[in-house]
Amino acid sequence: MIYINSFLFCGVVCMISQLILDNTKLTPGHVTSLFVVIGAFLDIFGIYDKFVLYCGAGAIIPITSFGHLLIHGAMDIAGEMGPLGLAFGIFNLTSAGISIALVAAFFLSLIFKPKH
Amino acid sequence: MTNTYKNVYVKDTATIAGIYEANGPLKKYFDKTYTKDLYFGEKSWEKAEIKLLQDTVTTLLKKSRLKDKDIDLLISGDLMNQISSSDYAFREFDIPFLGIYNACATSSEGLIIASTSVDGKKCKNCIVSTVSHNMAAEKQYRNPTEYGTPKPETATFTVTGGAAILLTNEKTDIRIESSTIGKIIDKGTKDVNHMGAVMAPAAADTIYRHLTNLKRTPDYYDLIVTGDLGKYGKEILINYMKKVYDMDISENYNDCGTMIYNVEQQPVLAGGSGPACSALVNYSYIYKQMKEHKLKRVLIVPTGALFSPTMYFQKESLPAIAHAVGLEVVEK
Repeated sequence: MIYINSFLFCGVVCMISQLILDNTKLTPGHVTSLFVVIGAFLDIFGIYDKFVLYCGAGAIIPITSFGHLLIHGAMDIAGEMGPLGLAFGIFNLTSAGISIALVAAFFLSLIFKPKH
Repeated sequence: MTNTYKNVYVKDTATIAGIYEANGPLKKYFDKTYTKDLYFGEKSWEKAEIKLLQDTVTTLLKKSRLKDKDIDLLISGDLMNQISSSDYAFREFDIPFLGIYNACATSSEGLIIASTSVDGKKCKNCIVSTVSHNMAAEKQYRNPTEYGTPKPETATFTVTGGAAILLTNEKTDIRIESSTIGKIIDKGTKDVNHMGAVMAPAAADTIYRHLTNLKRTPDYYDLIVTGDLGKYGKEILINYMKKVYDMDISENYNDCGTMIYNVEQQPVLAGGSGPACSALVNYSYIYKQMKEHKLKRVLIVPTGALFSPTMYFQKESLPAIAHAVGLEVVEK
């Protein structure tokens, strides 16, 4: 069942972004930011946690998961440290993703050259 | 402002194109094509563009058997910031230089300045050149290719190529007969992916003023050819001319953006754009058609969207311009 849920959730996210790209003047940059914000909002009352529980990777892979992890990490540390924890925790869960993206981008840019 | 000229002749032209243009229908009309990649042996797109421009002017000098010192004036422009391709390309040339910018209408602006100088006997030989490079322009105006943004059907594809023309006061087969300087027209359009719609009103205004100032009808010319409106912009212009000016140009009208590529088969969306688009078509295909007397009177109307990414991000609309230049075969 989780496979079907995963397929459906990720598919719906992609469909919504394709609809936005095809029917509005928003660019992929806008859509990405929008989805991060939506993911962050869905952390309220743990809604996104439910998606992750029932849809597995289907909910973890789309960029909405990034927004969810930002808020989730911030709130966790804020619980321990108070308001300052918001700043300490915001990249707590996402730092691995960001670091890998940075390092991978650096090495790939050394190897590859853009073509037409 | 419409002018007529008495003593301005086209001595020769040089055109060099990239791989997409070489795969298009006008391949045999270009002097040279680079078909390996878009780097041309250079390290960056911008350096490739500079090389392209140098190569074009060198080819023109070689074809016309002239040296740097025989040229009184070189007018050039391109799409880069500070028109850097032109500035950097001609460091190695020993010719007085004027840099100009009118986006994709640069070639016609240059032709008008050069024709006025030659007709006013201020100079004898004058070169007008322009260049554009697809990847360099994408980086300058849109997003780098690595970003991989999908584009709508109405977007155009910047032509990679260099084009130069040599104007002189010695009699040759083809002369520059008249010109009309365009006005900046801004109808409030904000869609950077539909430049055809942005530029069509500017082209219409210039064509209308050119024809009425000289008391001519569209059929006076064998061909009226706009710069880079693309297949959608072309339809917009025909309808706009009919509706606003009650003038039918559909009989003898074409657009360089749709002539340079096989628009339906090549991955170029609505067609070609960039200053080299109109210049390549005009200086290769149209020039040769006129040499063979297949076309006798041609009105070229390169169109340019004077679009600045900075102003666009500040939510300004897009201004456009078009200049018209009339070419004529000299009857013997």
